Amino acid sequence: MYDVVVVGQGLTGLLSAIYAKQQNKKVALVAKGTGKNQQSTGLMGLLPGSTKGLAEWLKYFDFINQDKIMIKHGINHFKSLMDQGSYPYLGEIENPVPIVTASGHVKYTALYPKSVTPIIEGGRVVVVGFHEMIDFQPQFMKGNLLTARPKLTVETMKVKLGASSQRTMTQLDAARLLDQKEVRERVISQIKEKLNECKLSKVDMFIFPSALGIHDWQDTLEHFRTELQASITEAPGLPPNASAIRLNEVLQRKAIKLGVRFYLDSEVIGCKLRAEKLTQISVRSNHRISQIKGSHFVLATGGVLGGGLEVTTTNIKETALQLPVDHNGAFIKKPINVYPVGAALGKNVYSHGITGGIYSIVSSYSANLQIIKIEQNGGLQHA
Amino acid sequence: MGDYSMLELNFHDTTFEKCLKCHACTANCPISSATLDFGGPKHLGPELKRLMDNQQVIDDHRIELCTLCGTCDISCPENVHISTLTAYLKAIHNEQQGTKFRDFVLGNAEIVGKLASAFAPVTNITMKIKPIRKMMQMMMGIHADRQFPTYQFHHFHRKYNKKQSNTKRKVAYFVGCYATYNAPEVAEAFVKIMEYNHIEVAIPEQKCCGVPMFANGQMKQGLKNATYNTDKLLEYTRQGYDIVMTCTSCTLAFKKEYTSFLRTEEANELATHIYDANEYLRQLHDQDELNVDFAPMEVKAAYFAPCHMKGQGIGNPTMDILELIPDYQIQDLAASCCGQCGTFGFKAEKYQYSMKLGNELAETVAEVDSDYTVTECGMCKNQLNQVTNKPVKHPMEIILESYEKSHNK
Repeated sequence: MYDVVVVGQGLTGLLSAIYAKQQNKKVALVAKGTGKNQQSTGLMGLLPGSTKGLAEWLKYFDFINQDKIMIKHGINHFKSLMDQGSYPYLGEIENPVPIVTASGHVKYTALYPKSVTPIIEGGRVVVVGFHEMIDFQPQFMKGNLLTARPKLTVETMKVKLGASSQRTMTQLDAARLLDQKEVRERVISQIKEKLNECKLSKVDMFIFPSALGIHDWQDTLEHFRTELQASITEAPGLPPNASAIRLNEVLQRKAIKLGVRFYLDSEVIGCKLRAEKLTQISVRSNHRISQIKGSHFVLATGGVLGGGLEVTTTNIKETALQLPVDHNGAFIKKPINVYPVGAALGKNVYSHGITGGIYSIVSSYSANLQIIKIEQNGGLQHA
Repeated sequence: MGDYSMLELNFHDTTFEKCLKCHACTANCPISSATLDFGGPKHLGPELKRLMDNQQVIDDHRIELCTLCGTCDISCPENVHISTLTAYLKAIHNEQQGTKFRDFVLGNAEIVGKLASAFAPVTNITMKIKPIRKMMQMMMGIHADRQFPTYQFHHFHRKYNKKQSNTKRKVAYFVGCYATYNAPEVAEAFVKIMEYNHIEVAIPEQKCCGVPMFANGQMKQGLKNATYNTDKLLEYTRQGYDIVMTCTSCTLAFKKEYTSFLRTEEANELATHIYDANEYLRQLHDQDELNVDFAPMEVKAAYFAPCHMKGQGIGNPTMDILELIPDYQIQDLAASCCGQCGTFGFKAEKYQYSMKLGNELAETVAEVDSDYTVTECGMCKNQLNQVTNKPVKHPMEIILESYEKSHNK
């Protein structure tokens, strides 16, 4: 019997589990996989794919003036969590900043990890790719970047990490290599050599793939910054991005260390209701079905993209609890102790099936506040 | 091709087509994190399967680096059981290349256990003699620096061999090779803990669960053992017994591998009766049947979760039970794979990868600085013994200690 059962291990799932555990609750997290967090960029946007700001965001997600303090607390809570995990996030939701992606597009984000720096308006940037890594092509990026930032001068180069790989090398693999000092030194000396060859003396910014170290990302970033004497940014692209892997690792480790019980390789395939309350969920793992009981259930199943909602030819199906939902994927009759968060809410998906990181953070925080409030008022029987 | 060509396989799992190539499996694979030499689960699992379907069978030597830890299975957001595919690729590789003598020996933990414990004092001393170990590395490919678990002459089967249980609740104990030959104290602790809960333990006829065989590509022999064990244990479950195990690899084999590899109704039926020992105790507790007469223990312990525990999807029953002991503090290390991975860490050519993961684990253990480390897996313990200075205990030993203290024993 758990106080809080969280379904899903993406950003909303991990945050919800951590928040509940910080309230000294008995918490279980049930997940069939690692969630979509690892496939993300690690950047927290307001309205994904748009340049819209906080005012539009508040309106889109039906927040009212009174919610502003809660939102601020939620964001601060997330930031302090990441500070404690030694992977600090910068930025403010009032003031989204432009960052460049691996395709050279400029997008706006509200919060970003310290390994990412907003893209400059003008000046000289050098895009550095690695020969061994095909997922990041500096020349391709250059074209798009120049369209978005015509005042920039963009140079490109490719250097060798100096490692052969038996599999397609990803940003994550490169990041693990760059954790090693000798690999960094090899890369830096090649960059300097190429700068000399092209007689490039002043560079304002270097753009790398999202691969500047995993566990030693701070050393890596500092090493590049000092040696190259310019600002440095990671440009997130095809997963796995180091920026997202670090975020996921910090949250996962925090949840485990706090004592959240992880039911892994476990798929929720139904539930049991009594009156208007959910009493337990049915979980299938390894061809076995068991029941997990709880007082509160946070549904962090990620909507259509996360697999919590399934679009069929005629309607939308909710796959975990298997309760009826409307044409957006919102519960028609939500049990009082079920708290859908992020994209699992159904109605609030913005674009490409996602709600944006900021909404994920805020809705996880807000669901936790609802649980606290119910508990303070004497639990569900009085709700 | 032999019996295990992927062409002819009718997999229990039909979910492989759900693979989106998102890379979560390879991103989380412990061996992939340690080296670029490994092809990774995504490529050697679903991608290779797609390549082979309706075409030629491909033997890929890179599969040798897969440890069958199953981290890929728990990582996949689409619920694809990648390790089923890699296990069969191991079988294909073995069939085409033949089994190395070393891998045959390592795969047969039970025969090794029988022999080694028969000559236990000699075996244990011999395995510590440097020149002999050097020779073993040269001739057998077993790394000279790898510490071996010790073998016990008075192994468990010599001490306890009841075939029937006469209590209301009936437990049949699948002991496994490690608790039989290397750590009979764990098996004895389990039996005594059950006694404290008024449950008599029976020991069914059993063979090695097969996990070391699957990991070494000896699929045929592994399936033979799986069938034998399934038949023997079903005789018990059909009489109302619960099957309980103290080794997380054995437990996962019955819950996952047997159902995926054997693909029989019998394997499925049996799987619903299989419990990890702590999972079983937790269930007793949930039903108010657990003897909670635990004496306080002022201990600060660290818990290392074996990969094969994580793969069972049962939460963290070891910590759930140990936290019932008054004053007992336990902290999950939140660590990745230990790197021993059963027989993997003994092999000379794999030793460097094993130690890379082992040294990372050692750092994590040092950061937490507990009195000792708790883990259920004998092989994880072997690695922890080698890379850390902390003692390593099985949860059963701790629970028994608390019960005995409370009963002044």
